Amino acid sequence: MIITEQKPLDEILAILEGHESVFLVGCPICATTWGTGGEPQLRQMKAALEAAGKRCVGTLMPEESTCDQRTTRLMLRRSKEALEQADAVLVLACGAGTQTVAALVDVPTYPANNTLYLARLQSLMVSDERCRLCGECVLAETGGICPVTLCAKGLANGPCGGYRDGKCEVDGTQDCAWVLIYRRLHELGQEERFQVIREPKDWSKARHPRLIDKRLEGEKGESTKGGAQPAPSPGPSQREGKRKGGEA
Amino acid sequence: MKSGSHLEKVLTAGHFAVTAELGPPKGGDAGVIRHGAAMLKDVCDALNVTDNQTAVVRMSSVAACAILKQEGVDPVLQMTCRDRNRLAIQSDILGASALGIRNILCLTGDHQKFGNHPTAKNVHDIDSIQLVQMVKRMRDERKFDCGEEIQGELPFFIGAAANPFADPYEFRPIRLAKKVKAGADFIQSQAVFNVEKFRDYMARVRDMGLLEKVYFLAGVIPVKSVGMIRYMKESVAGLDIPDELVRRMENAEKAREEGVRICVELIQQIREIPGVRGVHIMAVAWESIVPRIVEEAGLLPRPVASTGPTQGE
Ligand code: SF4
Ligand code: SF4
Repeated sequence: MIITEQKPLDEILAILEGHESVFLVGCPICATTWGTGGEPQLRQMKAALEAAGKRCVGTLMPEESTCDQRTTRLMLRRSKEALEQADAVLVLACGAGTQTVAALVDVPTYPANNTLYLARLQSLMVSDERCRLCGECVLAETGGICPVTLCAKGLANGPCGGYRDGKCEVDGTQDCAWVLIYRRLHELGQEERFQVIREPKDWSKARHPRLIDKRLEGEKGESTKGGAQPAPSPGPSQREGKRKGGEA
Repeated sequence: MKSGSHLEKVLTAGHFAVTAELGPPKGGDAGVIRHGAAMLKDVCDALNVTDNQTAVVRMSSVAACAILKQEGVDPVLQMTCRDRNRLAIQSDILGASALGIRNILCLTGDHQKFGNHPTAKNVHDIDSIQLVQMVKRMRDERKFDCGEEIQGELPFFIGAAANPFADPYEFRPIRLAKKVKAGADFIQSQAVFNVEKFRDYMARVRDMGLLEKVYFLAGVIPVKSVGMIRYMKESVAGLDIPDELVRRMENAEKAREEGVRICVELIQQIREIPGVRGVHIMAVAWESIVPRIVEEAGLLPRPVASTGPTQGE
């Protein structure tokens, strides 16, 4: 789940300065579940904008996630009349949803939300960040707990010296990721994984912007752009000549 | 000899080594470093230069090490992974080698939250264990991280930190084993206050056969005041300070004198623990006390310093 938070109303009004007629778009998936872009939030936003003297010319809740361009395009087409009256669109979704809409309409499109993280949803009140989309998942070796995300320093080979009573030095309310990992590996009978020295991470896998075009798969050369190559991670034996010549 | 550094020579000759820590100034004045060198030169075998310690900006540790070198001191370059990616780290290592720096201590680095630029982005492109391994490959295989060849020698004596006290502590020895496996030649530990717990840690480390592979230097911190020991007990992660020591400081007529006494006693007790090959004195902002502590601990005179150019074998 993508976690978003609504921007303060003041900021939203500042963004909309100079615009009279606003069209609102929500998102039926993440932002609905997390309460930052569902029907209730669309209604509240409409009321708040009207109270501030704006005209709300229409609202749209796509049938699929707003970031799915296929349905969002169709549904925006169906809202053509309302959209023609709008001089701005405000999207209550994540950054991807907002950009999807922005590319489909002719008027300025603005975010109502800040996009925060990719989370596990523990309840409708609690979510915690679980994945930073690093492109080279290590969960198999870390007991299903992500050190890239949960360790404040993203350490790959065990904890720094800073934890205290199992809590991270950076935020005493959060568990040290590596204490959790060690304990979990112990429970799973996989302690030996803790002793493996992990090589420096291949951050080219996280080089953005990333793009995948499955149509190109099987063709010669790279099937993807932005480093999502399916190549194995370089072990010590494969290191030689890696990226030789370098990049410009 | 891996590096031919004075510290390495002292350790391989079987002496009980003494190192101390020097924090570079929050300014560009070389005089501060020269002053520290003059003060500590004859009482320790090598001087560690911290790398933006506690994430507070200070003079670069490479530059400060180079000044120490000019003053005839064997510097230990502390290198954290917080502020540099793998390119910058390797480039600094080449530069350090060119300046004659022969000891490097590989560290994770304190979080920027604790320093004077808490809004900074940290790097942590590699971690301390990967850094140890990287320096080792640069030295032994003459290869950069990418696999390309390095021209010439990089004779470094590679160090890593150990924290015997962080709680839970069951996997601290395993973590040390990993650093040794990655290629650490010497260890400088977090400050020891709880000698019992440290003895237990060393026994476990010894049982794992690690002490044949690495020189272990135990850290100590001379405590200056009651406020300082209380603060460290409450707020500094990774320290284990017995109540008795806090009481001793509280009841002392002169806290500083008691602090010196405690430090000297700790060194003497630590020295008796099998496998401890030296002591690392971290007198944060109180470097002037180091000569007295070394003397009272019976660690003078130090083995003769060699200040000439050092080369790996
Ligand atoms: S290792 Fe990478 S891909 Fe796997 S959970 Fe962590 S950030 Fe996500
Ligand atoms: S205390 Fe644990 S989670 Fe926090 S930075 Fe250190 S290793 Fe990472």
